[in-house]
Parts: sequence; C-alpha cells; structure tokens
Amino acid sequence: MNEHIVKSYDEQLSILKNTIAKMGSLAERQIKDATEAALKQDQGFADAIVGKDDRIDDLEKSIEQQVVNLLTMRQPLAIDLRETVSAMKISSDLERIGDLSKNIAKRSRHLDQNIVDDINKNFSAASVKVQKNVKFVLDAFLNRDAKLAEQVWYADEEIDTLVDICMNSILKCIEKSSDGSGAAACSQMMFMSKNLERIGDHATNIAETVYFLVTGDYLEGDRPKGESDIVSGQ
Amino acid sequence: MSNKIVAKKVSVFYGPKQALFDVDLNVAEKQVTALIGPSGCGKSTFIRCLNRMNDVIDICKVSGNIEIDGKDIYDKSVDVVQLREKVGMVFQKPNPFPKSIYENISYGPTIHGIAKDKTHMDEIVETSLKKAALWDEVKDRLDQPGTGLSGGQQQRLCIARAISINPEVILMDEPCSALDPIATAKIETLIDDLKSSYTIAIVTHSMAQAARVSQHTGFFHLGKLIEFDFTDKIFKNPENQMTQDYITGRFG
Ligand SMILES: Nc1ncnc2c1ncn2[C@@H]1O[C@H](COP(=O)(O)OP(=O)(O)OP(=O)(O)O)[C@@H](O)[C@H]1O
Ligand SMILES: [Mg+2]
Repeated sequence: MNEHIVKSYDEQLSILKNTIAKMGSLAERQIKDATEAALKQDQGFADAIVGKDDRIDDLEKSIEQQVVNLLTMRQPLAIDLRETVSAMKISSDLERIGDLSKNIAKRSRHLDQNIVDDINKNFSAASVKVQKNVKFVLDAFLNRDAKLAEQVWYADEEIDTLVDICMNSILKCIEKSSDGSGAAACSQMMFMSKNLERIGDHATNIAETVYFLVTGDYLEGDRPKGESDIVSGQ
Repeated sequence: MSNKIVAKKVSVFYGPKQALFDVDLNVAEKQVTALIGPSGCGKSTFIRCLNRMNDVIDICKVSGNIEIDGKDIYDKSVDVVQLREKVGMVFQKPNPFPKSIYENISYGPTIHGIAKDKTHMDEIVETSLKKAALWDEVKDRLDQPGTGLSGGQQQRLCIARAISINPEVILMDEPCSALDPIATAKIETLIDDLKSSYTIAIVTHSMAQAARVSQHTGFFHLGKLIEFDFTDKIFKNPENQMTQDYITGRFG
C-alpha cells in the first residue's frame, strides 16, 4: 500500500487499527475468563471480569472519537472510507461481546453444585468454538483476510449447534430434578449459553464487516443458521 | 439511460506535445458526469473538445470522434456558434464581459433571439441569476460592471450566463474553485436541479463534490482515461490502483 502524502493520516489510520486490535484481544480474553469463572464457580474471578469491562467501553469511545476526527479532518474515501466505517462497526460489535461476557461472569455468581458435569462440558465446548471464531475474525481483520472472514461466517452454524446441545442438556437437568432444586442455577446457565450464541452472532457481524472492508462487496446469501430449535426459536 | 455525448479515441496535441491519448468516454443524458485527476492530466483539454473550444487555440489539434446526439460535432457542416449554444460552458477562470451585470446575462439570449421583449429579458436575467445563487447580492446593482464583482460572484455570474440560453449540455470546469462553502452548496444544488433537463459534465478537484453531484466519474492521469464508472463505485471501491491512490491522497 502506498502512503498518504500527509504522513499523519497514515498514523491516524494505523492507531485506529491498533485500537481495534487492543479492544479485540481484551474482548476475546473476557469470553475466555468468564467461561472459566463459570466452570470453576469462582466468584472473585467473576467480580474481576465484571470490573474489566470498563476498559473495553473506554476503547469503544476512543474509536468513536478517532472515527469522527478522521471523517471531519480527512474525508476518507475508498479503502480509507471502508477502513474508517468498519472500525466504527467492529468496535460496537466488540463492545457487545464485552457486555455479553460480563453478563456471563455476573450470572456465574449464582451457580451452585447443581450444575452437572455434562452441562459444564457442553458449555465449555460451545465457548471454545466461540472464542475461536472471535480470534479468527480478529486475525482476518488484522491481516485483511477476506477468505478467513468468510470461513468464520460459515462457522457460526457450528456455534449454534453446540449451544443447542448445551441448552438441551440444561433442559434435561431441569426436567430430571423433581424438587426443582437446580432450576435457578440451570436457568442462569440457559441465559449464559444464549449469550455465547449471541457473541457468535457478533463475530459473524464482524466477519461481514471485514469482508466488506477488504473486498468492497457484501457477503451474499442468508446467514448460516443451525438446525437447532432452541437457539433459533424455530 | 442513453448517451448524449459519445467520444471515441480522442487524442489532442498542443504542437508536438500530446495532451490526450485515445480517450473513450460517454456522457449520459440528463446526468452529471465528473472528471477528476491531477493538475495537467487533460481534464480541461477534454472538456473543451466537447464544444470545440480548442478550435481557438492555434497549435491545438484534435483527432478521434465526438458525437452529440449521434452527430459528429467536428463535421465540416457543423456551425460552431450553434454548437456552443447547445453546449454551454463555465470556465475554470471566471471571464465576465466588460459590461454590466445585466448585459452579461442578456447578451446570449439577445444574440440567440431567445427573449420576446424587455419584460421577458428581465425575467430571464432574474431567473438565471437566482438559479446561480447570485440574485440577492446583485439585484440592486444590475447596471454595474460584472468585472467589479468578487471572484466567486463573477463565477456565479458566468454560470448564470451559461444557463440563460437554455443549453442542452453544460460543461463546467471547476466552477466552484473560487467559491465559499455556502455558494458552493448553492451551485451544487443548482447542478442537481439542472440535471433533470440538462446533461452536465463537470471538472472538479474536490472528491467530495464529485461524490455529491455526479452519477458517473472519470479519472484521468497523464492524458489517459484510467477508469470510468459509476461515481459510487469510484469513491467506495475503485478497480484501478492509480484511481485508489489518487482519490485517497496517496499520489506521489
Ligand atoms: N493552450 C495550451 N498550449 C499548450 N499546452 C497546453 C495548453 N493547454 C493545456 N496544455 C497542456 O496540456 C496538458 C493538459 O492540460 P489541461 O489544462 O487539460 O489539464 P487539467 O487536467 O485541466 O489541469 P488543471 O487541473 O490544472 O486545470 C498540460 O500538460 C498542459 O500544459
Ligand atoms: Mg483544468
């Protein structure tokens, strides 16, 4: 890529890209930690995760300011315009990912021994897949890799399937407990699984944005959807 | 969408120096076509070919083919005065006649016999000046010389003059380069209004202006038309690297 005649324009764009990268790695970390806090039922860890969400919110504000500055000072066009607009969109998806992770951490405080191994195992599997998608889509963003973005987009279906499996195991657990003792914890777990699925959707959004950023085209066709009934509500 | 102007293999020489190389470019009817590119790339040269303004430059030789409404405008039978009535032009540098503001506008309609009487002429002068966003500033001094206006006002006077004779095509060579943002916005609004009845080609150095007013954009570089496409495409995702480098300000 050739450089702008005005040097600081390139600097502004690269700072923007770096801020996204930083925000992305924090968000990715939050999913991982929130999952760990849930599996270990570690309240102290959960509190720390909740506290760290502000950092992500601050970065979103910083990106918003940078984008507004770029638009007013530089009136970016073509690749620069796509870069600027994409940064804004990606940062809002990352902010949501941060929020949903925080919510998982919060809910994990209410878990108890009633969560059976089976559920934990399924939740962990879904989370690992979600983390992978978020990581890959951030790599796609950093390396301007449309192909990888497309793969992430298609892979969302697998997340839906894993979340569905997890939800079904939670349902089974509720049904089995005749006295309803585990219902409260299980319903927390249900929301937490749904959060994972929504984080996956945000990764899919980012995949679409990255594809547009790199190619200038839109990913065609309907979003891949899992067969699952609980997740999609169909 | 039909083409009002079809230019094929247009080359232009100034003496031994070639300024345009085999340019193929169509101007769509009742749309705005923007021409962009670095200084000296041949935008003015090209636009001047479209109403044979290059004829007045002795050393200038034009080859290739340019048709307007399917007729070769370089054909021997073409009356250049009539051609320029049909294809009006606003130049890069404002060039009002050394006459009153009123006469600057009335001159064209007079020689082309457009006005029925004095009242009609007054009307033409007023609407032309209003369309060009100049009326309010000059309505009380129409008898004063056009050359006494500020640069931006002179430019709007020339725009008013160009539209006073109701041309079919209006060529504009950087019409807003000397205008403030308010006057620029007015001219851009005018261009937008005009395109319902006129075909417009505009040269501009403002990418934002090209993006705002035009539907088609051609990017010139060193006398060649590098890329021509829908404006939307050119500014969001151009095909050619040179176009991309130019519009994003990366040209070295
Ligand atoms: N009357 C002339 N005599 C000789 N050479 C000329 C003449 N007019 C233009 N040229 C040359 O032809 C080339 C194209 O000039 P032209 O005026 O068309 O460029 P342009 O794209 O309109 O530039 P700008 O954006 O600065 O107005 C330049 O190299 C210029 O020096
Ligand atoms: Mg010029």
